Amino acid sequence: MSRDQAPGEEGYRKFEDFLKHWSRRDFMKNISIGAAYTAFLAGGVEFMEACANAGSGNGPSVAAKKGGHLTQGSISDIKSMNPVLQSDTASAEVIGLLYDSLMNTTASGELRPLLAKELPKTSSDGLTYTITLRDNIKWTDGSPITADDVKFTYDLMFDPQYKAVNSPRRGDLETYVQSITVKDAKTVVFQLKKVYAPFAVNQLQYGILPKKVWGSLSPTDVNTTDLNTAPTVTSGIFKFQKWDKGQQVTLTRNDSYWQGAPYLDTFIYKVVADGVAIGNQLKTGEIDMGQIDPAVLADVQGNPDLQIVNFPVAIFTFYAYNQNATAKVAQMFSDKAVRQALLYAIDRQGMADSLYFKQAVVATSSMPPVSWAYNKDAKPQYPHDVAKANSMLDAAGWTKGADGIRAKGGQKLSFTMITNAGNKVRENSLVAMQDAWKQIGVDATPKLITFPQLVAQITNDRSYDVFLVGFSWQADPDQSALWHSRNTAAGGFNGFGYKSSNMDKILDDAVATLDQSKRKQLYFQMQDILNDEVPAPILVFNKGIWGMTKRVQGVTGGDFGLGTYTQFQNKAWMKSAFVADGK
Amino acid sequence: MLARYVVRRVVASIPVVFGVTLITFGLLHATSGAFVPGLELNPNLRPEDIIRIRNNLGLNDPLPVQYWHWISGLLHGDFGRSLVDGSPVLRHISDRLPNTIELTITAILLGILISIPLGVVGALRRGSVIDNFFTFLSVAGVSIPSFWLALLLILLFSVSFHAWGLPWLPSGGAESAFGGGDPIDRITHLILPATCLAFVYIAIWSRFTRSSMLEVLSQDYVRTARAKGMSERRVTYLHALRNSLVPLVTLIGLELPGLVSGGAIIEIVFSWPGVGRLALERALQYDYTMVLGLTTFVALLVVVGNLLADVIYALLDPRIRYA
Repeated sequence: MSRDQAPGEEGYRKFEDFLKHWSRRDFMKNISIGAAYTAFLAGGVEFMEACANAGSGNGPSVAAKKGGHLTQGSISDIKSMNPVLQSDTASAEVIGLLYDSLMNTTASGELRPLLAKELPKTSSDGLTYTITLRDNIKWTDGSPITADDVKFTYDLMFDPQYKAVNSPRRGDLETYVQSITVKDAKTVVFQLKKVYAPFAVNQLQYGILPKKVWGSLSPTDVNTTDLNTAPTVTSGIFKFQKWDKGQQVTLTRNDSYWQGAPYLDTFIYKVVADGVAIGNQLKTGEIDMGQIDPAVLADVQGNPDLQIVNFPVAIFTFYAYNQNATAKVAQMFSDKAVRQALLYAIDRQGMADSLYFKQAVVATSSMPPVSWAYNKDAKPQYPHDVAKANSMLDAAGWTKGADGIRAKGGQKLSFTMITNAGNKVRENSLVAMQDAWKQIGVDATPKLITFPQLVAQITNDRSYDVFLVGFSWQADPDQSALWHSRNTAAGGFNGFGYKSSNMDKILDDAVATLDQSKRKQLYFQMQDILNDEVPAPILVFNKGIWGMTKRVQGVTGGDFGLGTYTQFQNKAWMKSAFVADGK
Repeated sequence: MLARYVVRRVVASIPVVFGVTLITFGLLHATSGAFVPGLELNPNLRPEDIIRIRNNLGLNDPLPVQYWHWISGLLHGDFGRSLVDGSPVLRHISDRLPNTIELTITAILLGILISIPLGVVGALRRGSVIDNFFTFLSVAGVSIPSFWLALLLILLFSVSFHAWGLPWLPSGGAESAFGGGDPIDRITHLILPATCLAFVYIAIWSRFTRSSMLEVLSQDYVRTARAKGMSERRVTYLHALRNSLVPLVTLIGLELPGLVSGGAIIEIVFSWPGVGRLALERALQYDYTMVLGLTTFVALLVVVGNLLADVIYALLDPRIRYA
C-alpha cells in the first residue's frame, strides 16, 4: 500500500484513523498494519514494534502442558473487535485471535494459507485470484465457514451498498478489486482491476465475519452494534469472554478450532500504563509477556524470573539529503561523492551500540533483513572510513577553506539537519553525525522541531537540508512509497526528491508481476542502485524486544515465532504456546 | 430558610456553568485552530476531502452556531461522541467513573480519618517532638511529587517484596487479570494507589486542622467554656474541634471534582482504569469531543462540590446566614 492511491470515499474514516495516530503511542503502534501515510515514525516506542523471527529462544524444551492462562501486557486498550472496522494494533492483536483470515504471513513476509486451503490460484494474466476454503473450518456455533461469509465480509469493507460502514479498507479495495464472486460454497474469486503483487499480502489478511450473525444489520448498525465490543460467533483459536474497558480483554479456549484447541485455557490482553509498568508487572508476574521499552531493558535483563527475546524489525532509521530542485542544498547533494562520503564518515556501529543500546543493527540495504527480498550482498557497503570520506571529497573538488570547512565553487559544505524533538535517540544521532562530519570538514547543525512539523517538512514544505526519521515497512517488499518519483509530488513520502526513471521502472515492474523470483531479482537490483546512489542513507534497522516470565513456553522459534509480520494478523504461535505450571 | 439559600446558590451557579462551557469551548477552539490539529497536515487527504470532513463535522459553521449545537445537546444530557471511537462520551464516563470514585473516596476517607487526629494532636501539643514530626511529614507530603512516591511504593511493595519472597502488593490495575475481581483482590489493588493519593490529602488537611484548631483554641468562647468549668475534653472536642472543622469542610468539598480528575497521575502510574487516565489518553489522541465532554463534566462537579460545601458550611456554622 503506498500513499499515492487516492483515499476514495473514506476520507472521514481515514481522518479518524489519522487522529488516532497522533497519539504518540498509537501513532507508532498503528504503523505496521495501518495505511502507509503513517509510515513515518515519531520514534521512542518504535522499538516496541516487534519483531521478526527469533532465531533462538525458548523452543519447547519441556513437554507441552494443557491448561492455564497467559496474560499479555499492552500499553493500549483495544478499540473494537470488528475486523472490518479495526485500524489500530491493539485491536488487531485481539481480533487475530478471534477471527481467522484467509491468509497469514510468515516471519519473513511470505504468504501462508489459513482459512484458505492453499495459496490463491492466480490466472495467467494475474488478475483473477481463486481461493478455496478448507473443508474443516467452522464457526464457534458449529456451522461451516463458507465463501458467502468471505464475500459478505469484503462487501462490508468496500461494496457501495455498505458505504455507511466506517471501513478503513474501502480506498485500497476499491483501487484494486473489480468484483468478488462466490463460485461454490467453498470457492471465492477475486477479480482485480490491475496486476498488483502486494495485493494478497496486504488485502487477504482481514478476519472473516459470520454472515448469518452480521447480515441482518444495517450499514450504520455495523458501526455501533454491541457485536463490536462483545462478539458472539467467531472462528479463531480463542473465544470472547469479556472486555473490561481500560483494563483487559479475556478470551477462552476454542475447542472447535480447526487447527485443534490451544494448550492455554485463557488468554488475557491486559492494559498497562507504560513501558515501566510492563517491566514491573513482568517482574511480579502480574503479566506473563510484554514488549520491552529499551529504556527499561537493563532493568529487566538480569532478572532470574524473566526471559528476554529480541529480534530485528522491519523499521529503519534513515536520513535524507534534500535533492529537490528548489532546495538551496540541491546542488551539493546532487554530487554523489558528497552523499557517499558523508555516509562513510558515520560510525553507524558505534551509534547502534551506544545510542540504541545495541538494540539496532547497521543497515546494509534498504530492505528489512527479515524480508525474502533482502539482498545481503547489496553493493557498495559503507563501513566507517574517515580516510576514504576525506579522499572522496578531495577528489570531488571539495577543498577545506581557512575555517576548516570544505567548499567548492564558492559553496560551503554547510547545512542544517532536522528531526523531531523528544526522541532522544534521534537527537543524539544528529549530534553524533554533526561530530562525525565535522572531522571531515563538513559543517552540519542539528535543529529540533515537533513531529507534525517534521512530517510537514518531509511531505510538503521541503525547505529543510537534511532530515532524520524512522520508517516502517509492511510485509510486501514494495518500497515505492520512498523511492518512486511519483511520490515526490506534494504529500508523497519521497520528500527528498529522488528521481530515477530506472528506479521507477524497477519498482513498477516489481509490483506488476506475481512471479516471486522475478520480483526478488528486481528488488535485488533496487537495493544495489540505492546502495550506490544513497539518496537517503539507511542508518540502522531497529530491533524489537519481548520479555516473558519463565513459565511461558513454546512461543518463539520457527517460521511462526513472534514476528514482524505474523504478530499482528494472527498469533500463529498461540497454537504452540503453553505455561509450564499449567495455571 | 435553608431551601431558599440552596435555591439562591443554584441560580447563582447557572451563569458559572454557562461561563465554563463557553471558556472550555473557546479555549479548545483556540488551541486547535483547525478544530482538530493536523487535519491539514495529513498527507493522504486531498483538499476536497478536508473540506468535506470539515463540513461533515459542522466545522465550517460560524463558531456561535457550533457552540449552540453543542450546548443544546448538552442540555439534553448529550455530551457528544468520541472522535476516536464514535461511542458516546457519557458511556465512557460511566464505564470508568465507578473505578475512579472507588479510588478517590477511599483516599479521601483515609485522608479525613488520619489528618484530623494528626492536626488535633499537633495543635494540642504545639512545639512538641510529635508536632514537629507531623510537620515534617506534612511538608514531605506536599513536596514529594505523587508520581515519584507512587513509583517508589511500587518498587518497594510490589517489585522488591516480590523479589524478596515477602507478601507483596499488586503494582497496577484495579483487580488481578486472572481470577481477580473479588473484594479482597480489589482491596489489595486499592491499597497502594489510595495510600499515595491520601498522602497529599493528609499532608494538607492535617496542617489545616492544626492551624484552624490553634486559632479556635484562642477564641473567647473557648476561654468562656473553660471558665464555666467545662472539662478540657469537652472544650477540645465539642467546642474547638467542631468549629475548627468548618474551613476544612470547604477544602474537602473542593475535592469533589478531584473525585473525577484529582487522581489522574496516580491512575496513570497504577494503570488504574479511571476517568483521569481516560482524560489524559484521549487528550493525547486529540479526542476533542471527549476532552470537551470530560471538562464540562468535571466543571459541573466543581460547581456541585462548592454548593454542597456551602450548605454543609451553613449547617456547621450558625453565624453564616442563609440570606
